[in-house]
Amino acid sequence: MDVVERSGNTMTLSMGPQHPSTHGVLQVIVEVSGEIVEKAEMEIGYLHTGIEKSAENLFWTQAGTVIERMDYLNPLGNAMCYMLAAEKLLGITDRIPERAQDIRILLCELSRIASHCVWLGTAGIDLGAISTFFYSFDVREDILDLIELSGGARMHPNYLRIGGVNGDLPAGFLDRLDALIAKFPRRMRELRTLLQNNPILRDRMIDVGTISPEQALAWNLTGPALRGSGIAYDVRKAFPYGGYERYAFDVPTRVEGDAYARFLVRLDEMDEAMRIVTQVRKALDRPGPIMVDDPKIAQPPKETIALSMEALIHHFKIVSESFRVPPGDVYQAIESPRGELGYYLVSDGNNRPYRVRTRPPSLYNLQALKAMAPGNLIADIVVMIGSLDPVFGEVDR
Amino acid sequence: MPSSQSPSIAGTAVDPTSLRPPLDDAEIVRIAPGELLAKLTALRAEGFSMLLDLGGVDYLGREPRFDVVYHLLALPARAATVAEVGTPRRLRLLVGVPAEGPELPSATGLWPSADWAEREIFDLFGIVFTGHPDLRRIQMPYDWTGHPLRKDYPLRGPAREATPRPPFALKSNVPAGTPPSGKVAAALQKQIARARGQAADGETS
Repeated sequence: MDVVERSGNTMTLSMGPQHPSTHGVLQVIVEVSGEIVEKAEMEIGYLHTGIEKSAENLFWTQAGTVIERMDYLNPLGNAMCYMLAAEKLLGITDRIPERAQDIRILLCELSRIASHCVWLGTAGIDLGAISTFFYSFDVREDILDLIELSGGARMHPNYLRIGGVNGDLPAGFLDRLDALIAKFPRRMRELRTLLQNNPILRDRMIDVGTISPEQALAWNLTGPALRGSGIAYDVRKAFPYGGYERYAFDVPTRVEGDAYARFLVRLDEMDEAMRIVTQVRKALDRPGPIMVDDPKIAQPPKETIALSMEALIHHFKIVSESFRVPPGDVYQAIESPRGELGYYLVSDGNNRPYRVRTRPPSLYNLQALKAMAPGNLIADIVVMIGSLDPVFGEVDR
Repeated sequence: MPSSQSPSIAGTAVDPTSLRPPLDDAEIVRIAPGELLAKLTALRAEGFSMLLDLGGVDYLGREPRFDVVYHLLALPARAATVAEVGTPRRLRLLVGVPAEGPELPSATGLWPSADWAEREIFDLFGIVFTGHPDLRRIQMPYDWTGHPLRKDYPLRGPAREATPRPPFALKSNVPAGTPPSGKVAAALQKQIARARGQAADGETS
């Protein structure tokens, strides 16, 4: 930490931007009086890569690749939100096959668990609980293997398509999923035993970074951060999308509003996500189409391309110039592991999106640190940032 | 990567929002910049407790040129169960902003969360929010010229190169006029000065 300024009774310190416990490149300028934070200001933008601008210059079919790179812990959620918004503009929301919806939900919920595993591991490391990292990354590793099986890549598979998904799940996927479902409850028990009632962790987290429900709304918190303050807002329940209405799950909330409450909400959410995964697993036994039946949007089956001239031309047209989307604007939100992730898409009737505006949950959650930090100890800044779980690919885009 | 350079295949609509298909994603209200603050105050009192997001759109060739889009959500502060939350009202407020002297009143007095979002629109679109407590660039470096999300700001090509990327160290939070205190701060200032000098050299050569 660098001293920037001393004046009167306070001292201004600069944390970051390369501090490892800031979960990315974030600079926090804290004004402290003794060890008490008087004011915290943040400097972001170090990871700005202009993803929104890039997406506006790509085809509708290509933009998903850059959009997946915003929230790199939940790439499938980002892709799903973008696909749902584009499908709304195309007017094909009701025609997405059930199996495609199920596969999307399965992967999104698995991503939620994987994302919370990263949060649990890194938040543990922030507090000195290093072994948690290895336990939680073991679960995450299994999930990334499943994502690799489905789309071919561990982090950014680009597996979801406007209209469905790219190819059915491969042989052996469901067996490995069954193994994960069987192993998961024991792993969660271990994680809870390691952390939940650990006296050091409780001391570090309870009554740290407390935020009231009114403050949480004014500062635009969503996701586990809002539910930790007692407001049961979950986009999957309030505005069901993409087939979530078929599955039963609860929305865990806590009323305390501190870092420990957000920690418990996320742990409970991992269990709820696995509950959805278990239900989707049963539905996946039924075969079915995985892409919308619309030749304007769906590529022809790969097998036909080598045999039919028409299929080859059709494939070439979709790959080389995508398709047009009717003019209009739409807002679509999903519940990402960090909160309400929204896309405001504008189409001018062309084969590229005219505007791709993201509502990044991390940005608004992180901004609330300005309201949370004053009055806390400077050592707890790291705990508070950890409890908000920001992803800087998404904050800076 | 030929995609971003190839010509478009369709004619473009100048105002897509007026052509939108009937979708039930939100209630939509379009108002003039002059009525914005009164309308936002009224909506805040009506129960729209969250300013979920605000973003800009540049409709180059349309008058007014820009749209600033406010997404509001009416979430009750004491909603402890999913049933109490129900399906909250969503409202989208579209405000047209002219190309000459783009200016809007700031919503930070009503929702503190508007702070960074307004800074981002200022940074990437060049729209000024009057009454904002701390309006400065947020994503791009402080001495950047131009507003990248405007449609006349090129993604690549010769014109893009006209605004060279300044060295990383320039995005530092130490204010220019602050006398450095401590060894590290002095080193940081020196680093900034060095980076600025290099940038100047790069432009002349």
